[in-house]
Amino acid sequence: MRRKKVCFVSYGSTEYSRKSEEPLLRHYAQAIGNALDQTGLKKSDIQGFSVTTQASPDYSPHVAEQLGLELDWVLNGDYGGAGGVMSVRRAADAIEAGHVDLVVLVGGNSFDKSVAHQRPLEYQRANYVDVYGYGGPNTLMALIQRLHMEQYGTTLEQIGKIAVAQRANACENPQALLRDPMTMADYLNSRMISDPIRLFDCVMPCSGAECIVLASEEKAKQITDKLVYLVTDAEKVHYQIANMLPDKTTFGTKVVGERLFAEVKREDIDLFEIYDDYPIAVLIQIEDLGYCSKGEGGKFVEAHDLTCKGDFPVNTGGGQLSMGQAGLAGGFLHIVEALRQLRGEAVGHQVQKAERALVTGIGWLNYGRNLGTTAGLVMERRA
Amino acid sequence: MAEKSLPKINPVDRPYWQGAAAGKLLLQKCKACGKLQFFPRVVCVDCFCTDLDWVQAKGEGKVHSFSWVFVPRNPAFKEEVPICYATIVLDEGVILESRIVGGRMREVKLGDRVKVTFQETASPEIRLPVFELAS
Repeated sequence: MRRKKVCFVSYGSTEYSRKSEEPLLRHYAQAIGNALDQTGLKKSDIQGFSVTTQASPDYSPHVAEQLGLELDWVLNGDYGGAGGVMSVRRAADAIEAGHVDLVVLVGGNSFDKSVAHQRPLEYQRANYVDVYGYGGPNTLMALIQRLHMEQYGTTLEQIGKIAVAQRANACENPQALLRDPMTMADYLNSRMISDPIRLFDCVMPCSGAECIVLASEEKAKQITDKLVYLVTDAEKVHYQIANMLPDKTTFGTKVVGERLFAEVKREDIDLFEIYDDYPIAVLIQIEDLGYCSKGEGGKFVEAHDLTCKGDFPVNTGGGQLSMGQAGLAGGFLHIVEALRQLRGEAVGHQVQKAERALVTGIGWLNYGRNLGTTAGLVMERRA
Repeated sequence: MAEKSLPKINPVDRPYWQGAAAGKLLLQKCKACGKLQFFPRVVCVDCFCTDLDWVQAKGEGKVHSFSWVFVPRNPAFKEEVPICYATIVLDEGVILESRIVGGRMREVKLGDRVKVTFQETASPEIRLPVFELAS
């Protein structure tokens, strides 16, 4: 349990665009600028800084130099899709430890030609995956989805309901890139990418950035009267890694959920920002978080209204599936959307009762298993 | 024109690729705890012992999951789509990722028995372990 001393004080997003010739640095600067403007912070208030991106060599000290930040704390928050939540945890640790009072965290991506999207050589992927002509994450998630469908009878309609509900949310969110209504037929008939993963199971890569500002409670109270606290948070990295017969349809999110719900009641969560690289990943995380038992996710999804007006609101702004995935900004988008909701600023897609939100991140599809990084946090609005 | 990906052989996995070239599917076995593991690493993922042996797998197992790949990450593979990318559980109790090939691959179902075979590549030193449905 966090010692209730760390708060989210503001957030900032850029507009998303499918392709952008803008340097990634400009996206960062814009998202950070928006977050600072929201609460009247100045660049000189930034004591700690975290950058999450796949666009190496944009390591955080390099970005800080470009943006002219003098810092007491810096972090490369590169943990795949879990990078948003995991960076928040580390920043909160630094604040609790007294190293800094305020940290700015940014994640982003650009199709900027000057910044190659190089990743550190992935030894296992190059030698044991690439050589077989796989289709990237689409294929790795397809293996998981097929197993879930065959083992538990999960249907395409159940999985598709998540994508359709998120699109309905996005239609009310001016920030979302994909706002054309989507029907179940649209989902089912979308082009096959890596069977059973279809086009509308996949996120659309885009350019943009998201920023979050985290501060000590004392500092936060000087900055904003809309206090959103980080209540509890957890992560699991390489769950089942030493098991040569892993359960591919259970993520480390199971352990994360057990830790979160030791501190907060499962039924007290008002909205769910669940990392959505694919609808099946959302469904599996709902199971792993214990909202239903393993294998019952399809029936659970069927029985609930997942839209922002529903009884189990999921990815209330459309999620990455409908907003677009600006690289690892995708792991910040869920936190930013939760902040919008908890601060009552989600115009057009506001959840009626929004006091407590659960956010997850997952990332780094690993060899033979599922997710290398899984994380979650609970945030709460207090007067 | 893109070329099909080939492994970048390193000191850790050289024995594995030499084995494959000779028609053998090799797994690492920990000399301390006896655990089998794949892919090749510098330590046993169970007990962290660095003393690892190589043992030959029978090369038989079953289909754990699979996906028909229509959009390969490396465009050089486009001429082969749909590719049947699969996870295989070997009888030795180790999961690995590979592809299913052969005339009967279209019939593949979860749990089907499979047998390893070694596919030629553009490099004379490298043969890739792939799997065929067992008759």
